[in-house]
Amino acid sequence: MSEQLNNQELLDIEEVETDDEESSSIERCLTFESGDLILYISTNYVIEIINNHSITTLPLMPPYIQGIINLRGQILPVVDIQQLMGKEESDCSGQTCIIVLDIDSVSLGIIVDSVRQVIDIDLKNVKPIPLKRQQKLLNGMVTMEDGSVFMSIDCQALATPQ
Amino acid sequence: MDNGMEGMLDTYLFETNSLLDRLDEMLVADEKIGDFSLDDVNEIFRIMHTIKGSSAMMEFGSLAEIAHHIEDLFFYIRDKGIDSLDPQHKKELFNLMFRSEDFLRGQVEKVEAGEALDTDLDSFSADINNFLKKISGAQTEEPAPPEAPAAAAPPAPSTDNLPDDKEAVCFLHVYLEEGIGMENLRAYMIVNAVKECGIDFRYYPENMESNSETTATIIEEGFFMAFKSEEAANKASDILRTQGHIRSYELAFLPEEEHAAPDPVPEKPQTAAPAETSVPEKPAPKPAPQAKPAQSAPVKQNLISVNLMKLDSLQNIVGEIVITESMVTSSPELNQLSRDAYDNFMKSARQLRKLTDDLQDIAMSLRMVPISGVFQKMSRIVRDMKQKLNKDVRLTLIGEDTEVDKTIVDSIQDPIMHMVRNAMDHGIEDDVQDRINEGKSAQGEIVLSATHTSSEVVITIADDGKGMNPDKLLAKAREKGILTKPESEYSKKEALGLIMLPGFSTNQEVTEFSGRGVGMDVVKKNVEAVGGMVSLNSDEGKGTTFTMKIPLTMAIVDGMKVTVGRSIFTIPISNIRQSFKVTSDDIIRDESGNEMIERMGSFYPVVRLHRFYNINTEVTNLEDGILMWVENSDRSFCLFVDELLGEQQVVVKPFPAFLNFFELKNFGCSGCTILGDGNISIILDIQSLYSAALENSQ
Repeated sequence: MSEQLNNQELLDIEEVETDDEESSSIERCLTFESGDLILYISTNYVIEIINNHSITTLPLMPPYIQGIINLRGQILPVVDIQQLMGKEESDCSGQTCIIVLDIDSVSLGIIVDSVRQVIDIDLKNVKPIPLKRQQKLLNGMVTMEDGSVFMSIDCQALATPQ
Repeated sequence: MDNGMEGMLDTYLFETNSLLDRLDEMLVADEKIGDFSLDDVNEIFRIMHTIKGSSAMMEFGSLAEIAHHIEDLFFYIRDKGIDSLDPQHKKELFNLMFRSEDFLRGQVEKVEAGEALDTDLDSFSADINNFLKKISGAQTEEPAPPEAPAAAAPPAPSTDNLPDDKEAVCFLHVYLEEGIGMENLRAYMIVNAVKECGIDFRYYPENMESNSETTATIIEEGFFMAFKSEEAANKASDILRTQGHIRSYELAFLPEEEHAAPDPVPEKPQTAAPAETSVPEKPAPKPAPQAKPAQSAPVKQNLISVNLMKLDSLQNIVGEIVITESMVTSSPELNQLSRDAYDNFMKSARQLRKLTDDLQDIAMSLRMVPISGVFQKMSRIVRDMKQKLNKDVRLTLIGEDTEVDKTIVDSIQDPIMHMVRNAMDHGIEDDVQDRINEGKSAQGEIVLSATHTSSEVVITIADDGKGMNPDKLLAKAREKGILTKPESEYSKKEALGLIMLPGFSTNQEVTEFSGRGVGMDVVKKNVEAVGGMVSLNSDEGKGTTFTMKIPLTMAIVDGMKVTVGRSIFTIPISNIRQSFKVTSDDIIRDESGNEMIERMGSFYPVVRLHRFYNINTEVTNLEDGILMWVENSDRSFCLFVDELLGEQQVVVKPFPAFLNFFELKNFGCSGCTILGDGNISIILDIQSLYSAALENSQ
């Protein structure tokens, strides 16, 4: 059922090595897709990735709180970040999975369309999002070598419901 | 610190706290009758003795020292008999003892918090010593043994500065470590340790425990112990080895011919002495505790202390076992067994069921502790406030033996304390004459009681004071702007309930005891956090009664599983009165279409769970589903659900902290539980469901 990947295994999926620079601004990040965005989050926060979990809905909750799941006896809230970003409810395809995060000892799961890989991102290259609108959840963007743009999730905002 | 030390610290804290609790209990009880019983004097002496010993071992100097002074005090009292004290002295003694207890507790708290202990003890220890002097001064004809010869013979320096003591054969000359502070008291502690071993000797300077001027002398010249025989001196030097803070000591003989000492050379130091100097760093357990085993061993208790965490995990595992068991015994594969095999299986299953039930009962009872500990603390508070506020109040305790889950005891202590303080401060009349005019006895009374019902503990705090005036409360609430509807619409009960709202405090000024910005709203929150509820009733002029109802244990609940749409809810069995089917004729509607139903002569509102929680379900017709008649305290209503699934014991798990923001508890969800098949069921809280669905609906 639930497929556990620790960071080491995630690393193995991606066989790219990045030993060139030992700079402290390099952060190992997990990239994933949600809606039509490619997002990343530091692997420091990632506990595991699970799929096929049945979610128990809670009454009277804002729609982005999908509900709670039973993760080996631990009750975990699940957030649909797509709805949190003001989009449609994510449809549950075969690829959909839950990334379990621990943000300053607040545990929660987020629903994403699919998980990509673990890459090293140089934090020096991360730029603020130029639009001074109220981005609810994103706090940075970075352009990769192949030209694709990844967005950074604001973990603190994620961990504090509003 | 290594683990061993941590473990020792835990044991030390546990032991010292229980001793202090015991002390408190005795003091409060004794003060009521205004006298110490002989047993209690002995007991206090033993308690102080133990605290002193263990504190010295853990190197908590301040604790050891104060305990030591009190021990001395009680040594004297025990010696002379408590009846030698006149009433005035006894009263002072009680106050002194309460102060000491507070001091010791304060120090223990500092140890717990890992803070540095107080080092400035002089004034407090002087207080104790002064008291000792005072009561011993009252009986001048019986001076302490060393005084007589000492008074006659001030320490005149002899050949080796040895004090002049005609009877002494040899002296121990002890030097303390440098810079340890309060040398005179430390020296006195050492002297006392030696004394406890039954060795008869005198020491110089003889007034070192009370005269801080001797400190300088002791630092420079050390201090002396004078022995009548060499044997005693040798015995004493053995004891010195176990004492802390000694730099060196030497045995010196009096160079007098008539004693015919074998080696009359005063300079001859005990050669062993320097070797011992390194020992005092980590002294072995003081000899004190072993010295009088017969005395300090109270009735042996068959008790062990267990870490609460371990009990918690035991409770959790037992809960899971219960659930797993019902999962196994209801597994659908069983239907494929042959009839005989099935019967056999069920037989074993019943056996297992019985055992797991027993196991669960025991696991639960492990966590139960009597509430008397909390109540005892209240006696103390009432006693202190009585003096400060100058009100004559007696506290009556009922049902102290009531057992409650440990976590609940911990969490209700502050609320109870707050309410008792409120009752003392605001409840009981300031002026005795007011009471007499009302026809009440001059002495106020606060009744603290605890009783069990089947599933909850009911704790009441009742005072017979002036009570509360609903109109005044309303006026105050209006002033604070916390009224939510026109004043005239408030019932008396609702008006009284106002005091539990945040931002409401009836007293204008903050007093020492209550009104410190935390009001009844905090009490309410604390009690609700453990699943309980607070209510109050007050009659002006007659008094106020607070009632707290708290579930016995929060860990396991007997629940009825019901479905609504795809969701499974669990309703605590204790809240269920009845479940029944209805026909559409039974339903009565009011002008806005709210449904009601008649049961046993009364009408009850119907709450459709699917509608209140916005859950999609096919069962929307009242005839198709089931009505559950539920009640909690005085609130009673009917819940409409799709289907009953059956009864099950469930382990309550709180919602994740992340969801606290949404205050699910205010909308009828008290927690969740994991069912046998791994699904999650939400546990309903009938009380808050009623408030959310019926009281606050617009």
